[in-house]
Amino acid sequence: MNSAIVSALISAVLAAALATFLARFIGNRAQRNHVYESAMRLGLDSATENDLSRFDDLLSAVERSVRDLRSESYESDEARFRLQAALDALSVAVMVFDGEGLVIDSNLASTPFLEARHGDALVGAAVNDLVRIANSGQEASTVIELFGPPRRTVIVSTLPLPDGGRPGAVAFVEDITERRQLEAIRTDLVANISHELKTPVGAIGLLAETLEGEHDQVVVERLASRIHTESMRIAQIIEDLIELSRIESIDGAGSGSVDLNEVAADAVERLRAAASQAGVGVELHASTSKTVIVGDHRQLLSAIGNLIDNAIKYSDPGTTVEVTVERSDAEVLVRVADHGIGIPTRDIDRIFERFYRVDQARSRKTGGTGLGLAIVRHAIANHDASIEVESRLGEGSVFLLRFQSVVDDTLDAQTISSLNERA
Amino acid sequence: MPEQRKTFHQDLDEIRDDIVRLGALVGEVIPRGTDVLLTNNMHGAQAIIEADDELDDLSLRIEERCYHVLALQQPMASDLRSIVTGLWLTGELERSGDLMVNVAKGTRRIYGVTLDPKLRGLIERMSEEASRLMKLALDAYAERNASLGVAIDDIDDALDTLHGDYIEAIFESHATNDIGLQASVQLALIGRYYERIGDHAVNIGQRVQYMVTGWLPEHTGAARLVARRSLEAEIGVEGSVSEAENGR
Repeated sequence: MNSAIVSALISAVLAAALATFLARFIGNRAQRNHVYESAMRLGLDSATENDLSRFDDLLSAVERSVRDLRSESYESDEARFRLQAALDALSVAVMVFDGEGLVIDSNLASTPFLEARHGDALVGAAVNDLVRIANSGQEASTVIELFGPPRRTVIVSTLPLPDGGRPGAVAFVEDITERRQLEAIRTDLVANISHELKTPVGAIGLLAETLEGEHDQVVVERLASRIHTESMRIAQIIEDLIELSRIESIDGAGSGSVDLNEVAADAVERLRAAASQAGVGVELHASTSKTVIVGDHRQLLSAIGNLIDNAIKYSDPGTTVEVTVERSDAEVLVRVADHGIGIPTRDIDRIFERFYRVDQARSRKTGGTGLGLAIVRHAIANHDASIEVESRLGEGSVFLLRFQSVVDDTLDAQTISSLNERA
Repeated sequence: MPEQRKTFHQDLDEIRDDIVRLGALVGEVIPRGTDVLLTNNMHGAQAIIEADDELDDLSLRIEERCYHVLALQQPMASDLRSIVTGLWLTGELERSGDLMVNVAKGTRRIYGVTLDPKLRGLIERMSEEASRLMKLALDAYAERNASLGVAIDDIDDALDTLHGDYIEAIFESHATNDIGLQASVQLALIGRYYERIGDHAVNIGQRVQYMVTGWLPEHTGAARLVARRSLEAEIGVEGSVSEAENGR
């Protein structure tokens, strides 16, 4: 009886002790497993499980993997910054949207279209519309013409960019103004050349045909004189084309020294007769300082002559064309100003193109070839000079040429400094 | 997009963005309409007339949204002024767009008339001035810049002067028989449309000032009236004078 009680008591004590021990052991194990699982989630290598029976080993393994992770995330941060910098360097605006149409990522070029105003606000609105389409899984693009000013053409396009099953989109905005302009120049050039050359040739053919069966002396004379005029016109075009290709083929302007005062006076003198015939006065205001530049006399004469010629042609009788030569610091300026019909704002960028005409009818009447300003542009480019145009319809135009001057006083300064160095 | 609950300030921001967009549409249609006018572009004129529907639609939506916010949020003080200003601006902008539609219609009416360079130059300049004023007015609104808003009234003087020169040039052109009477009248009306756009820009500027400061130029006149009334009451001549004034 007694022994039974004792043995029961002993087994109870033993069971309790075992239970406590088991509970602690299992508890530790559960904790260890928990830590282990967390470490696995953080990227701990599972092959190392056997070595991690000791708690300390496990902890240092976790520490190692955290360190690896940190350096990995640092590297991915760097990659992200590099990518962002590359995107920012793009001239195309890139914006990434989530399914709600909100911007998650964007590059520098897209700044004008977020929080936009004026024309850019319309581009921004178009982006939002197209993103909605892209979020429903379709590509979309549209071309927007903005009248500004300045006039611009932009193309907006969006693509679906699903992000792990959720909808998303990427939008691009690209300014294609220049590309459009180049296309226009190319297509217009071909049309204009054929027009300019075919018109007088066709006219000569027709006039000659009429002449064949004509016996009336007066009519014959008139037809012959028309043929003469038209052939002169072709000759002029050919001459200008040769002049243009000559100036184009020359790279640079040589090393001769040219006095722009003299060139301007020369050009004015040559056009005096044409001006008085048109009833337009020409005034030359020469500079009193030195106006010598490095360049080619013939090219400059051709350029300035063409500008004055145009000014006379597009002036109303009774007005005056002013040709001014000026020194300002290290520059020599040549200004040709008229009070003629002016150039429409939208044509100003295009007048230097070959055969470009603002007004076809008027140009034919004045007898220009459409090459004058192209010659001017090339001659000026050869001299590393710049040309600025200011014009207003009905008020007149101003063409301003800016040349780098090479004059005695800069030479003197050089001489002085070299003398100083020697001393 | 799923309709979701928006905060009051989100509503205000969206109204502002929409007005900026409406302003951008107006800012675009001014140079576009002028280009159409100067190039005798009949297709372009038709396109402008049709594109005005978009402007009308947007301005209606802004208006409704403003009413919505007024009714549901009952805004106070500067928030209330923002909404009221939004309503005003929508009207001014929508009207400016309509004026360019009138220019497009005028373009159709003067089809075939050759304008001399002086008239063309003046039209170009009036258009540039009008769109500049509109842009400044919208900048003032978007930046809540009261002093810029007020300044537009002074800047508008240039457009008024141009308009005067333009009318003069029409007389000259008509006197030399370059353009007929009908074309002259149409051209004069077109000039007037540009000039009116400038006036709408001035109104927008003043409303922006009201939005920011709560003050309108009309307040001066109203204050003057109150002062006059109280003075009259004091010296006891209110009988005859104020009755005569009320009768007017």
